[in-house]
Amino acid sequence: MAINFQQVNFSYGAGTSLEQPILFDITANFPTGQVTAVVGQTGSGKSTLIQHINGLLLPTEGQVTVADHHITANTKEKELMRIREKVGMVFQFPENQLFANTVLEDVMYGPINFGYSRSDAKNAAEIALKRLNVSETLWEKSPFELSGGQMRRIAIAGALASNPDIVVLDEPAAGLDPRGQQELLNLVIELKTLNKTVILISHQMDHVAQIADQVIVMHEGKVAAQEAPEQLFNRDIQWFTDMKLDLPKAGQFAEKLRQQDWQFEQRPLTIKALTDLINSRGTTHG
Amino acid sequence: MENAIKINNLTYQYQNQTTLFQDFNLTIDPGQWVALVGHNGSGKSTLAKLIMGLLTPTQGGITVFNQVLSESTVNDVRSQIGMVFQNPDNQFVGATVADDVAFGLENNEIDTKLMPKMIAKTLEIVGMSEYQDREPHTLSGGQKQRVALASVLALQPKIIILDEATAMLDPEGRQAVMATLTQLKEQFGDALTLVTITHDMDEAALADRVVVINDGQLILDGTPAQVFSEADVLHHNGLGLPFSGEVVAHLNQKPQKYLNESELISWLSTSNK
Repeated sequence: MAINFQQVNFSYGAGTSLEQPILFDITANFPTGQVTAVVGQTGSGKSTLIQHINGLLLPTEGQVTVADHHITANTKEKELMRIREKVGMVFQFPENQLFANTVLEDVMYGPINFGYSRSDAKNAAEIALKRLNVSETLWEKSPFELSGGQMRRIAIAGALASNPDIVVLDEPAAGLDPRGQQELLNLVIELKTLNKTVILISHQMDHVAQIADQVIVMHEGKVAAQEAPEQLFNRDIQWFTDMKLDLPKAGQFAEKLRQQDWQFEQRPLTIKALTDLINSRGTTHG
Repeated sequence: MENAIKINNLTYQYQNQTTLFQDFNLTIDPGQWVALVGHNGSGKSTLAKLIMGLLTPTQGGITVFNQVLSESTVNDVRSQIGMVFQNPDNQFVGATVADDVAFGLENNEIDTKLMPKMIAKTLEIVGMSEYQDREPHTLSGGQKQRVALASVLALQPKIIILDEATAMLDPEGRQAVMATLTQLKEQFGDALTLVTITHDMDEAALADRVVVINDGQLILDGTPAQVFSEADVLHHNGLGLPFSGEVVAHLNQKPQKYLNESELISWLSTSNK
């Protein structure tokens, strides 16, 4: 289920004297079955952008298309409800939104709201909990007894329980340990193989380089780039300074070597690419 | 010698449930910067709560600067320890940055005449002087954590514990907080004991000593160089290495000992030329 932004402008308080423009002339697309990473410094407009995808915010001008639904300044709430069913939103630190008495009840809440019967909602919740590797022994426990990493997975299961076609994840790996982070990246890859449209907001360029098919760079409310990670992360180093954007760690390391007169044709983006380059140089010259 | 923190045969059990710590021992010297690392759920935050007297050990004792932690000493002990938590939004009470720092001073009945100077000084230490009249909610995450650190510093604690204080920050904020800590350590030297709880190994690499725990057990304890040479043990416990360590693990020709990033870059540049 593809998403298209066509010349979207967004302002808070549009039409009032307090109008505050946030997004400017956004044209972007998020293809089905691909992972699109949205990056940019804090305050660049990333969160405002994604809140347009399920109509939490409406464009002041322009149009957002989600499959065959059009969202404009005048779209009615009833139409938005139909779109929201198709979009699973995982906000930052989603564990703060857990509320039910048991893990299972918490994950069932979404499907029940979208009109599932209790038994269908229970089935859906169980599938989602299994997908997130939440052990069955925890299903009847209070979510508040669990560790931070477990709570995070339960909150994500809640967003996935209604089997949405579009999944938006805002910094899903923040605060998790290395193993928890890798599990989340694996989940994103799994969602992709299920042909979902995945949108990932992240400050971690290593994650972006690892799993994104394309990257949208936001800067001061505008789209500064929309391209594949290999292309993006090979831009001139000055561009990253201007955008206040990091390179993946391997790229940062390569830049430091470059300052010591090392030369690279392509900037390595993973540890393997980086060390392959170092190792090959070691054998030719060493 | 007097210890900053001494944990003696500590056993801690969640209400009739799993035992997290059993006969756990750890001693931290005054002026040390200790990184306490472990994966999510390893027990590192529980340990911080035990040290602060927010949780009570099932058995064993905790001593902070020769004072045994108990119901009657808990307030004294807490007055020596400042704590900065993970979520920058949960620790603000003041309407402005300066008010927020003042709040802790008022609670400690500091003479109001002395306050403006103390507030100005601590905000200067964390590099937030120009923000003193700002409303805290207008600050970035990294700036909020530096104000939280200033509020703690104003009370002149002997120990500061940071419990995953950078986990919710973007890279810029994270870097600013870590730079502030490095500078604090230089400025206060042995007068300040620092405990940073984290699972980010690039952060742990900045400490004098790295203590790895898992399931309430001490797994490794040593200098960053010693701990980071145990790559297999770290991976087995759900942790990684600092980036330079991960690079070395993939190299055909490896340096003799663990090198931090700038050391590794110069080693590569001399040995491979």
